[in-house]
Formats: sequence, structure tokens, C-alpha cells
Amino acid sequence: MTEIQVRERPAAKEPRTVKLVDCDIHPTLTWHDLLGRLPHRWRSHLERYGRRTPIVTEFYPRTSNAGFRVDSWPEGPDGFPGSDLGLLRQQLLDEYDVDYGILNSLGLLSCHEVPELAAELARVLNDWMWEWIEAEPRLLGAIVVPYEYPELAVAEIERCAVDDRWIQVILPDSAEQPLGSRAYWPIYEAAAARGLPVALHTAGYWPHLDTGWPSYYLEEHVANSMRMQSQLTNVVCEGVLEAIPELKIVLTESGVAWSTSLAWALDNAWELLRDEVPRLQHRPSEVIREHVWFTTQPIEEPDDPQDFVRMLEHGQLTDRLLFATDYPHWDFDSPAQALPPSVPRDLRRKILAGTACELYGLPLARHA
Amino acid sequence: MIDCDVHCAPASMEALAPYLSDYWREYMDGAGIRVLGMVGAYPPEAPTSATPAAREAPGPAVPSSYEALKERVLDRDAPTYAILNCLTICEAHRNPYYQAALASALNDWLRAEWLDRDDRLRASLVVSTVDPDDAVAEIERLGDDPRFVQVLLPIRVDAPYGNKRYHRIYEAAAKRGLAIGLHAWGRAGHAPTTTGFTLTYLEDYLSNPIIVQTHVVSLVSEGVFTRFPDLRVSLMECGFAWLPALLWRFDKDWKGVWREVPWVKERPSTYVRRHFRATTAPSHLPTAAPRHAAELLEAIGSDWLLYASDYPHDHGPSAQVLHDALDEDAARAVLSTSAAAFYRLATEP
Repeated sequence: MTEIQVRERPAAKEPRTVKLVDCDIHPTLTWHDLLGRLPHRWRSHLERYGRRTPIVTEFYPRTSNAGFRVDSWPEGPDGFPGSDLGLLRQQLLDEYDVDYGILNSLGLLSCHEVPELAAELARVLNDWMWEWIEAEPRLLGAIVVPYEYPELAVAEIERCAVDDRWIQVILPDSAEQPLGSRAYWPIYEAAAARGLPVALHTAGYWPHLDTGWPSYYLEEHVANSMRMQSQLTNVVCEGVLEAIPELKIVLTESGVAWSTSLAWALDNAWELLRDEVPRLQHRPSEVIREHVWFTTQPIEEPDDPQDFVRMLEHGQLTDRLLFATDYPHWDFDSPAQALPPSVPRDLRRKILAGTACELYGLPLARHA
Repeated sequence: MIDCDVHCAPASMEALAPYLSDYWREYMDGAGIRVLGMVGAYPPEAPTSATPAAREAPGPAVPSSYEALKERVLDRDAPTYAILNCLTICEAHRNPYYQAALASALNDWLRAEWLDRDDRLRASLVVSTVDPDDAVAEIERLGDDPRFVQVLLPIRVDAPYGNKRYHRIYEAAAKRGLAIGLHAWGRAGHAPTTTGFTLTYLEDYLSNPIIVQTHVVSLVSEGVFTRFPDLRVSLMECGFAWLPALLWRFDKDWKGVWREVPWVKERPSTYVRRHFRATTAPSHLPTAAPRHAAELLEAIGSDWLLYASDYPHDHGPSAQVLHDALDEDAARAVLSTSAAAFYRLATEP
């Protein structure tokens, strides 16, 4: 992979140990700015006809402050949380001394557009994030792709991945097909070939299937973890993790604790029904253990903090957790308070930075 | 011992003919409607559909006569009570009148050919899930028969069960002291995931424990237990190992957005622990980590679990893991006292 240029880091006096990596930051390119960056043909298309897919917040309104941190709205009539790099620096990177922060744009988590527009939207979002990444050395990017058109998605990965500040590819937790489907394998192959993990992020396209619509945001929010359980089950059963041994999956903003009982259920079912899923050659819990990471926010909070540590032990998850704040959403997790007090110091260090550095190949020391 | 999930089903539509009107007999005859045994949910040859012993027994694996049940389950296990779940209603179609007629026929069949034959038998009342009014009418027709201990609601339906449209059912059940029994599977027209139907049976099978969590969250969030403070809900054939993780998240999310659901006055986990119980099969416990299984069971609490043979279904060796992990007191709770309290059944004659 000779085409990858390793970024030259400016020499500084003394490197600092990396102590905090935020694996889930949400930048927002406002609708107005997005339109301004599109070619005329697609800008006019969106202005005239809009988009077909609903936005989940339209039918499950967040109960207060539209779902964002109260202080995250930039000044001015067009200000929107996550749209201002200066505010993000001040409220997140500087405030908490973040060494690296990963930009996970949710702007294309519904890719339900004609192929040319889907590809343009991905390009615009990635180019815009790139401006932030170039301006702010602590930021790293997740490549947004037009995933329903895998050949276009692969082209976008190839276009971006020439720089190592793009550290993963991001997909939603629900697409037109289940995420283990062969339709998406070219994306997984392209990411794995470049050493990029694939993040599956909650709050994707949510077709009217399964048990029908709940009535309240509370239900929709808890259901984020249920939806990821179905998707992880599918990814494991389809055998994509075994077919592409280098593939690493990061389940983002969907919780962690459910994975232990899900892995047990999968093992139980696999022992009885494995002849039905010949591509799944290994015990599902081992496959998950080998290939799957989890971001912390919104981390489950048991009454007894020791239950949290026990859960990590049951699921062998101690080196699979990646700290995330979810800035600028209302349920932002502060690195000082999010992890239960029962988490021992060494493990805390791993969750806050060490595991992410290892997964993403980030240097353990950085020049401030 | 109280067995909280035993299956029975008519072997054919002919068995139900005495309980159907001429109109429905002709309708079913003309349409060629048969009882197929829920082949999507329980493919006859799938290892999970029947234990080896049930497979070897003469006739269908799911008992279709009292004699078969007596020989295979009642004589073998000698339960104090066994609760019959007839899932044939899941084979009904969208036609609301047909579904209501089939539900009534199944209940009359259950009464005449099962409950009247043995004092140990109890049953879930079969109701339509297409039209809640029809479900209410059936509860009013038969819900005072004390041998019906709960109303059977399969989990694959049109809307999460907390939805207002279903509150009529809970009102009618609560008035008669009937529990609600949510059971795995349901109508074949409902995809189990947000990305539709699964390609494999394994994923379909494992969707039940995920879908049931949606209903638990819905019933609490949409205020069912505030309106009906005495209502009890059993979760059957949907596992239980998922409970602690769900409650940790549900409580946390409620703390953040409780303003949206002001009728949820206590922590969600308080409602779930007070109003719900789950049957033991499948148990989905780790077969190679008995200590983890024991720690999980302690976190759940043995009073939350109701023993079920789930005859004739076979969920593998983790039933033994559960059995081995329980001490004497916990075993007694799981095998009988939890169910006796939940279903208000006398354990002494």
C-alpha cells in the first residue's frame, strides 16, 4: 500500500502520552452549507424535491433542547450544534484535553438516494470534514460512503484513504439489507485491505418492519441496542467476519452490555443449528471476541458498579471498549464521570485511550 | 412443580370443526385452509422443534390429544399444574372475523378436550391480535373460567404491546385477575428485524429474545402499569439472560427523558421486576462458564423465573446449566413458588 502517505507531524519539544481518545464526535454540515457545496444539478434537485426518507427525530422528538447539549448551539441564526469547529475545540478538545477525536458524520446514514446523488453527498461530507481535520491535528475522520452502491462506496474509500487521518469507514445500523449481506462485502473488503475498521453507528434508516412503531423517544432510544443486536447476529451468521479475517467492526453508540447475553444465545443456537450456517465455522462468541469493538456512550449503568466489571469479564470485553463522548448530543458523556467507579485504573486507561490507539494504529505519544 | 409452557395443537382443522359455525367450516373448506403446525416457526425437522423423545412418539410432536399429553408430559413429570399454550392462532390470516372465530374455536376445543379432562391443566386464553375489540369480547366470553390463567399474545404483531390500542385487552384481563402471556413467534407476515425477514432460521429463532425486549420497554413506557397496577405479564420462550443489560439501559435512558413519559413514575426496572416474569426455556446460558451463569442468575433473581419444559421444543443443553446453577431455595422458587404466586395457583390441594 505504497500510496498511503504518512502524515508528517511537526517536531515539538516533548511528546505527551496519549490519555484520551474520543471515538464518537458528531460534526454537522448544515443543510444550507451542504446545498452550497453540491454541484448545481444536485443542489437544484434537493431544493425542488427534497429527500424521501424521514428523519427519525421528526417522529420521535427529543424531549428537550432538540436533543443537543444546551450550550452546544453556536451563536447566530444558522448555528447548529456540531457545525462550528471553534466551539467544538473549546467545549470538547480543549476542555477535556482530548488527544484524538474521531469525526463520525451522521449526514449520510440514510443513503436512500439515486447513486449519483448519494456519491456526491458522501464526497461533500468527506471534503468538508477534511477541512476540519487539516485545520485541527487532533481530529481524525470516519469515511462516509454511498453504501447502497458498493462500487461507488469503494471508490470513495480509495479516494480518501490515501491519508492516514481517515481511520475508519462508517455505516449505519440499518440499511436496505441486513449488514452481513453479500451486497456490502466489497465495502468490508476495501476497508479491511487498508487496515480501516468499519464503524456501525446507531440511528440509521429505519424501515417500517419488525414489530411496528413505538410511540415515544424513550422506546426508540432503548431500541437502538435491540437493532444492533439483530445486525450483529446477521453479520456473524453471514460469515463475513470469517471470510475477511482482517475485518474489524466497531459498534458505535448502541451500548455494550447486551453483547454478553447475545453471544451466549448465539453459541447455544449455533450448537443446535450450525448446519444451517456453514459459513459460520467458529463459535459465535469467539468470532465476536476476535472482530468486534464497542464504543462506550451511552454506557449501561447498573446500580451496583461491580456488575459493570462483571459484565466486561463475562463478555471478555476488557480490551474491546473505546471511550466516546457523543458530543454534541444531550446524552454527552464526560470522560471524568462516564465510567463506573468500579473500573480499575489500568482498565480505565485502556478504555480512555489504549484500546483505541491499538485498534486505529495511533501513536501512543503525540506532540502537543 | 408448575410447568408454565406446554404446547398442544389440533392435528387438523377437522378437530376444530365441532367448534366452528357452518359459515367458517365452508370458508375453510373452500379456501383449503389447513393446520400446518407453524412450519415457519417450528420446521418439523429442525433440532429445536422437538426433543428426540417427542420425535419418536407416535403422532405429531406437539400433543394433539389429552392422552398424548398425559403419557408424554403429565405422567413423566407429574406437575402440580401445566399451562397449555396453543399457538395455532398464529396461523390465522388477516381477516379479522376469521381470526376471532378461530380463537373462539380453539378456546372451546381447549375447554372440552383438555381442561375438562384433568384438574392439573390450565391454559392461556387464545385471542385475536388483529382487532383488540375481538380480544376483549373473547375475554368477556370465557375469562371468568378460572382454568384460563392468562391471555396469550404472540410477540410478532402490528405494534408494540404498550400501544394504546391494546389497553382494552389489559383492562378486561386485569378486571378478571388474568395475566398477559407474551409468547415467542407470532404472525408469519411480520418480519423479525428492521431490515426485514432473515435468510436463516437461526436468526429468526434468535429474534424472539430481541423482539420481546421491545414489548417490555413498550408496556412500561406507554403507561400500562400505571393504568392497570395489578396487571402481570409473563414472557414465554423468549429467554431471560438479556434482562440485566436491558434494565441498566432502560433506567438510564428514563432518567434522561422521563419528562416525555410522566406516567412512568418509578424506575423502569421497578416495573419490570414487579410486573413481569419469564419462563426458563430457552435459557441461553453459557455452557462452558458455570460461574458466569450463576452470577447472571443471581443478578436476575430466581423469583423472576418460571419453570417451563416447553414441551416438545428442544433448546439444547443450557437447561441443564440453569438446573445446576440453582441452589435448593432458588430451585423451589423457579419450579413452583414463583409461578404459584404469579398465577395465583394453590400449591396445596
